[in-house]
Amino acid sequence: MLAGIEKPSATFPAFFRVREVSGSFVVTNAQGDWVVLSAPEFKDFGEGTVERGSALWERLKAANLIRAEFDVPAAVARLKKRMKFLDNGPNLHMLVITLRCNETCVYCHASRADMTAVETDMSAETAERSIDLALGSPSPFITIEFQGGEPLVNFTVLKHAIEYGQRRAQEVGKSVEFTMVSNLALMDEEKLAFLLDHKVQICTSIDGPEHLHDKQRKLIGSSAFKAAVHWIKRINQAYIERGLDPSLYHVEALLTTTRPALSRGREIVDTYVSLGCRAMFLRPIDPFGFVEKTAHRVEYPREEYLQFYRDTTDYIIELNKKGEQVLERYAAIFLTKILNGEDPNFLDIRSPSGAGISAIAYNYDGLVFAGDEARMMHETGDDTFLLGRVGELTYDRMMAHPTVRALVLGSNLNGRPDCVNCAYNPYCGADAVHTYKTQGSLSGRMRESTVSAVHKGIMDYLFEKIRENDPETMAVFRRWTINRSRDHFVQTPV
Amino acid sequence: MSTQTLDGFPKSVAASDLADGSVTLTVDAGLYPLEAVYGAAYIFIDRCFVLLDRPAAGSIAVTLADKKGAADGDALRRLAGEFANELLTQAWRQKIVEENRVVLELVTTQALAGATARAAAPAEPSLDDLASFDFTEEAFDDPLGIAMSWEEKYKKKTPVEAASEAAAPAVVAPEAK
Repeated sequence: MLAGIEKPSATFPAFFRVREVSGSFVVTNAQGDWVVLSAPEFKDFGEGTVERGSALWERLKAANLIRAEFDVPAAVARLKKRMKFLDNGPNLHMLVITLRCNETCVYCHASRADMTAVETDMSAETAERSIDLALGSPSPFITIEFQGGEPLVNFTVLKHAIEYGQRRAQEVGKSVEFTMVSNLALMDEEKLAFLLDHKVQICTSIDGPEHLHDKQRKLIGSSAFKAAVHWIKRINQAYIERGLDPSLYHVEALLTTTRPALSRGREIVDTYVSLGCRAMFLRPIDPFGFVEKTAHRVEYPREEYLQFYRDTTDYIIELNKKGEQVLERYAAIFLTKILNGEDPNFLDIRSPSGAGISAIAYNYDGLVFAGDEARMMHETGDDTFLLGRVGELTYDRMMAHPTVRALVLGSNLNGRPDCVNCAYNPYCGADAVHTYKTQGSLSGRMRESTVSAVHKGIMDYLFEKIRENDPETMAVFRRWTINRSRDHFVQTPV
Repeated sequence: MSTQTLDGFPKSVAASDLADGSVTLTVDAGLYPLEAVYGAAYIFIDRCFVLLDRPAAGSIAVTLADKKGAADGDALRRLAGEFANELLTQAWRQKIVEENRVVLELVTTQALAGATARAAAPAEPSLDDLASFDFTEEAFDDPLGIAMSWEEKYKKKTPVEAASEAAAPAVVAPEAK
């Protein structure tokens, strides 16, 4: 038995889950309170021989892990705080403005189309109907994210959608934020001025240093990296010119970790820091889109990824200790849940996940899907998560769709084998669309899931750091859990 | 038909047929619920032709035949292994869902209720709004007497009322006008 427990006590511990991490024991409860115990401490806890009033007793009591001392109101309050994301409905609405793209990426999840495929451009009317549907959400604040393909390819409709969205959000009294995910190669000063004037947040992709980025993202006749870097610097300068704090307002970039990236963690971090990007998301590759065909080149065993994650995050922490403020987003998401008892509402790491109830994707042709991954599956021939079409679908019918209900049930970790007993249950989440794609069911086989392996591996790493309790590392971790609002991008009704 | 055993599986529960590209697993029906067998088998229908059979009382045979028909020994072993793992997952999930039904239903209800909160819908009048509601408008036309009470509609008519009704024009469908 764990930690040599001989006579488990049935009366001392309150409900708990446990995971052994490098010789220590991470003990959590259903509300997400936690302690990290040594083997002798866990033995005392398990056998119920903890001395009343001892330091261990007080730690266990504070974490609501002693049955006789269980604080019901505190547990309820903590659970409500953690599950607050259930109250508001979809707040992320992704519009695929076009499938056309000027770059060809080896892992393209979006299933891009050639630049001649004008039939994959969203029309102005479809954009309007999509925004009408999005504004039906009860959430007082919604994000409209423009994606592609490359959204700048269909800039006329992008502009129209932003202007229409601003006007309609004002009319219905909702706060709205616009973001655009672009490779930036088709940016020009006129487009930039429009986007800045309309407070559109701009995100891009950087896969690492130039040679790696350009190897994975082909831009005919030019360097995709040089184009992106040129505009990142120009946009960041423009924010400064407009009097915005550059530590808050700058182009965000997203990394897709492919096999060649695994040996270049430090180079990737240095590239991000040199570009002024303050947040890195060391995401492993997804199985959607072109990856179905290129997996033999870009995929990797998740043990190798986890070693990359540990080494790279160690390096990021070291940089922070030297005064460079850059965070790793996976860590920030989990640490916000672990250290703050709050859920940052990252839709793929939630239980239930955000597919359908928090995120909706609107395809260029007006088809509506329960999230972006669901839309990606459509592009490779699977319409399992299709909810309907804009103009025909009403908001209430969309939310009452049996597929949305199935996704909520299927992604609830308390209905999933393995997750139900996992110590990381209160902090974790796994998208049901991903498990359907990789394992054929909404609930999946978590012991064989790459997502589960990654999440467990990252949380093992974080709890090792928490157990070490290095004051400087913990200060970095706490800083990563502070959410500084970027109000400039939020357009509130007047 | 040339059946072979599968490495790592007891001979009595798994056999493969390389010529057919199929594998057959025999499942103890007392150990695995039928719903779990259905659930696990269904997962494979995009890759395999799936047949369930009952070779003897208390056992269920599941045959997975590769749709491409040319699976090698390793591929068939992986297929059998994946089915066995999925079957265990489905069986356990069924048990977990039974035990956690209240929590799962509560969270699902809250999620869907949160997503369909009426705040987003066009404003409906509240009780407070009724105080300033304008009730002075003329009543709408009701030629079929739908808004009339049963007593008003079917009460015994006086001879004068009956004569007056007979003289009134019939209500006709618009198309007939």
